[in-house]
Amino acid sequence: MMGQQHTEWIGVAPFLEEDLAFASIGQDELGHAALLFEVLVGSDDQAIDELAFYREPDAWRSCHLTEMPLSDWADTLVRHWLYDAGEELRWQLFAESSLSALRDVANRALQEERFHRRHGDALLDALLKVDDARARISPSLASILPSALAMFDGVVEEAEAVAQGAIAAPFASCLPAWRDRVDERFGAQDWSTITTADGDRTTRHSDFGALLARLREVFDLDRTAVW
Amino acid sequence: MAIYEVFLKKDGRDEFRHVGALDAATDELALVSARECYVRRGEGDRIWLVERTAIVTSTPDFVAPNHHKPHRHHGGEAVAQRRRELREQDAADQSAAT
Repeated sequence: MMGQQHTEWIGVAPFLEEDLAFASIGQDELGHAALLFEVLVGSDDQAIDELAFYREPDAWRSCHLTEMPLSDWADTLVRHWLYDAGEELRWQLFAESSLSALRDVANRALQEERFHRRHGDALLDALLKVDDARARISPSLASILPSALAMFDGVVEEAEAVAQGAIAAPFASCLPAWRDRVDERFGAQDWSTITTADGDRTTRHSDFGALLARLREVFDLDRTAVW
Repeated sequence: MAIYEVFLKKDGRDEFRHVGALDAATDELALVSARECYVRRGEGDRIWLVERTAIVTSTPDFVAPNHHKPHRHHGGEAVAQRRRELREQDAADQSAAT
């Protein structure tokens, strides 16, 4: 979902270089999703497509942070950074999984994610020094932090996955480390005032249907086409 | 923003080649942009970014007078032609003597 959202900035990001860079990063995320689907169903393309494009919304495990539509660049950049900061911690958990296929994907993803974070940090390093840019980023951060925080709420069946060793620990165990990163990047936040909404992690956002339709728009043109 | 010229090199004996340019606010942004804009399909193993203003250069008239100096070319045609003439002259002289 995050990959689809990022790639939708192709052609409309603030400048050409960012346009390409951001869509390229989105492509990496789509690649990671494909690798994870392969862990689940093997290398059968049709089974992967079925999971990627034709699951019922209830069967998805995405969170509102990645599902919500954002049309503002400052919001998008903040989401990019907050998500990637969390994603690194999650891949680190996956890298300790009892499933060797998942460990392999995690280690590969961690290599690539380094550059995603470097990209987000380079932009923020430059922008947060500029008053006008900082004035746009601050409200974006305030509006997106609750949804980002909800990444760490337990997803359906997480406890079972932890019990089986597929994940080393619940994602919530990474929350303190993530909050420290946010504080370090954007200044200390008053975490006691930031609360997550029920369902941000366990239900689909109202825009999910539209997003999924865009994700499979080309695929739907001809499901039997060979690319 | 500054303009950076982008050079890529494949590992091995190939030299760095100019592949394009990009705009960036900082060196670090130039690097991350170049990575996603110019090397996303593994087009190179090493990268040089050079701020365009750091390039020492001049106008075309600086080099223009050197465009037509055939005597500085190493094709060897003039020397070869002269030696051919001398050989032919030698042969003609010998056959005249006998």
